[in-house]
Amino acid sequence: MINPADLLEPLAWSQSTILCLLVLLLPLFSFIVIAILPNTQAKASAWVGMFMTLIASIISVHLLIAGWQGAGIHSRVEWFSFGHLPPFTVGVLLNDPALLMLVVVTVISFLVHLFSTAYMAGDAGYKKYFGFLGLFTFSMLGIILADNVLVIFIFWELVGLSSYLLISHWNHKESAIKAAKKAFIVNRVGDVGFIIGLAILWSQFNTLDLEALKVLMQASTIENGQWIAGAHSVSLPWLTAAGICLFLGAMGKSAQFPLQVWLPDAMEGPTPVSALIHAATMVAAGVYLMARVFPLMSIDALTFVAIIGSVTAFMGAIAALAQHDIKKVLAFSTISQLGYMLMGMGVGAYDAALFHLFTHAFFKACLFLSAGAIIHALHDYAHRADIHFDAQDMRNMGGLRKYLPFTFIAYLVSTLALIGIPFFSGYLSKDALLSGAYAWADLMSERTLSWHYLVPDLGFITVVLTALYMVRQLLLVFFGDFRIADERSIEANIKVKDVPWVMKTALSILALMSFGFIWSLNPLNHSLSWFLSALKTPTILVPGMNGNWQNNLVELAEHNHMQVTVISVFMIVIGGLVAWFIYRPKGKYAINYFSRQGASNVWQWLSFNNWYLDEIYNDFIIQPIEVLSQKLQLLDTKVIDNFIDKFAIFNIILGHLTAWVDRNIVDGLVNFSVYFVGRVGLMTKSMQGGKVQSYIALAFVGILIFIFWIIW
Amino acid sequence: MSSEYYFILAAALFCIGLAVIITKKNAVMVLMGVELVLNAANINFVAVNKNNLVSLDGQFFALFVIVMAAAEAAVGLAIILKLFKYYKTTELDKINQLKG
Repeated sequence: MINPADLLEPLAWSQSTILCLLVLLLPLFSFIVIAILPNTQAKASAWVGMFMTLIASIISVHLLIAGWQGAGIHSRVEWFSFGHLPPFTVGVLLNDPALLMLVVVTVISFLVHLFSTAYMAGDAGYKKYFGFLGLFTFSMLGIILADNVLVIFIFWELVGLSSYLLISHWNHKESAIKAAKKAFIVNRVGDVGFIIGLAILWSQFNTLDLEALKVLMQASTIENGQWIAGAHSVSLPWLTAAGICLFLGAMGKSAQFPLQVWLPDAMEGPTPVSALIHAATMVAAGVYLMARVFPLMSIDALTFVAIIGSVTAFMGAIAALAQHDIKKVLAFSTISQLGYMLMGMGVGAYDAALFHLFTHAFFKACLFLSAGAIIHALHDYAHRADIHFDAQDMRNMGGLRKYLPFTFIAYLVSTLALIGIPFFSGYLSKDALLSGAYAWADLMSERTLSWHYLVPDLGFITVVLTALYMVRQLLLVFFGDFRIADERSIEANIKVKDVPWVMKTALSILALMSFGFIWSLNPLNHSLSWFLSALKTPTILVPGMNGNWQNNLVELAEHNHMQVTVISVFMIVIGGLVAWFIYRPKGKYAINYFSRQGASNVWQWLSFNNWYLDEIYNDFIIQPIEVLSQKLQLLDTKVIDNFIDKFAIFNIILGHLTAWVDRNIVDGLVNFSVYFVGRVGLMTKSMQGGKVQSYIALAFVGILIFIFWIIW
Repeated sequence: MSSEYYFILAAALFCIGLAVIITKKNAVMVLMGVELVLNAANINFVAVNKNNLVSLDGQFFALFVIVMAAAEAAVGLAIILKLFKYYKTTELDKINQLKG
């Protein structure tokens, strides 16, 4: 039997640990400095934020180069201990995925800081904005570095808080406040699951340290339907329940079905925030969490993850089809891509899921920042042309490639990466994912027709849909005529101005990362990617696990890779062609697009309203709860208040009664004894007259009485 | 002559003495009353010992009481003198500082 306390010995700090802590604390330092700076120093706050994140990204790149494919770093100290339980430790656990995440978060955070200096210029909350960006970066880095699931949870909540603060940045807008609250509350639902998962692991193993958990999980056994770890034993379903509960946390943060409703609304925040938090980093935290606890997930829990992931991928892609808001399309696309990643985790394609996380982080951040650039340019245009229109509505756009050529190229590159065209990064990662999913379905169904094939099938359908909605967006935004100018007949000499160079710098770096050759020397075959060959899928350590399961998956995935590539490229071509046919410039759809209202048939409405999930929640959760709370309030005011009133009245009457008894009987008794004693005193006092003769007379009488008493 | 006449005389004398002690205002008069009471006792002593032909105990005790009464008168008068010096009066009704 393993003693957990032996696994939790403090581990030495190295130079790299110090550097990790520096990376972690620099953004926090930026937050504190910006909070202290006076409001007049708004410009300085941007410089502080940029400087700190730049240093943090340089250090993390250094760490990546120095530590890549190394043994990893694990340093920890004892935090506290109580009772006879093993001590509670906290520390830094840096392995290859963590190193990569560190670089992605700090670099994208830096680029977003850079972009925001131009995008947020002149905003009233400029200083506050940069402060919260620092807080967010700090908390996100905490999730990446922590070696303990509870510490991850703490940073997890901090990330939720900073997301809330940044969504409600424009807190004079009712919709922004509502969106922030919605994001926070929906995330709470997932976090409840997360806490329950932690509780299960704690009660079984008495520690939440990731490395110790792995050892203890491997040492635990299954006997007679009981999951036994040391002295603790529970029935077997709890093993799967622990995995599913941890996944619930990821479902909230990574916007998975049925908790994806908060992410589209979160687009109320400033666009660079959407790029950093709601596309590249925070929403990927769920995937990263799954990667951290991957060895602790049972097959059933992983199957659950795969199903939820594929369903989300499909639903998100459908919902993206009929949106008119440029950011909403990207938000639903993010939901869909996150679904892909979690599907990858669920089907055991750990490396492919992480690979997609990293490629997606760059191209989606690029898409969002490009959208931000477009919005920025259109705001500027509206100001100069002295008109008002929604700068995020694609109905007002069109033909922008002539005015914003640089943004167009960045957008095009990242769109091609997103839909998975060969030679771009998305192609590699998505192919790896789909191969993994297909191999999983083959393995699980043992090559018979079963529902397991629905998972990769939904993935393939999503490929078509992704091509469809992204090409649609590209066509509607950048091709055709500039609709708002035509409809409002703005003079031709007022033109959309190109965006400042800082925005272009950020865009170009992110667009560069969307090319396939950055990630693989052979951009057609993902298995030759330096990334995938370096990343080792950790062994699943859950007891009762078939040791060959993971090896079989890898073999099958390699085997079916060609088929999958052909199918998915075919799917992309279909999607792209259909999109071109429907949304082509001068086509029927494009010509009538400006005056289009929401959607035109049931299916489009279904997509436009995100499967009516908000309405379903409203009708089946919010309304019943409101009715219930009204009823309870009625019960409170009518029954409980009434009862308490009656009780109070009874008490008052009782009080009056006791007061009467007190005044008349108790007081009377006391007064009587006082009066009696007083009288007796007066009587005896008269004997002490101070007259010697009366004393003698009394003494004589006394003696007489005495004598008579003796005689008789 | 029977003894009881002596006892009646002694009792009468005692009562007169007591009456003087209780009623007289002047402390000197009270002291005189005390002398009467003492002499009533002396009569009793002598009367009781009248028929005893062997010893003269009663008579001796009477003499002893007379001596003691002389001493008592000296002390009592001295106290009255002190009282007079302090209160400027010998009226017992006015000397009532112990009044409750």
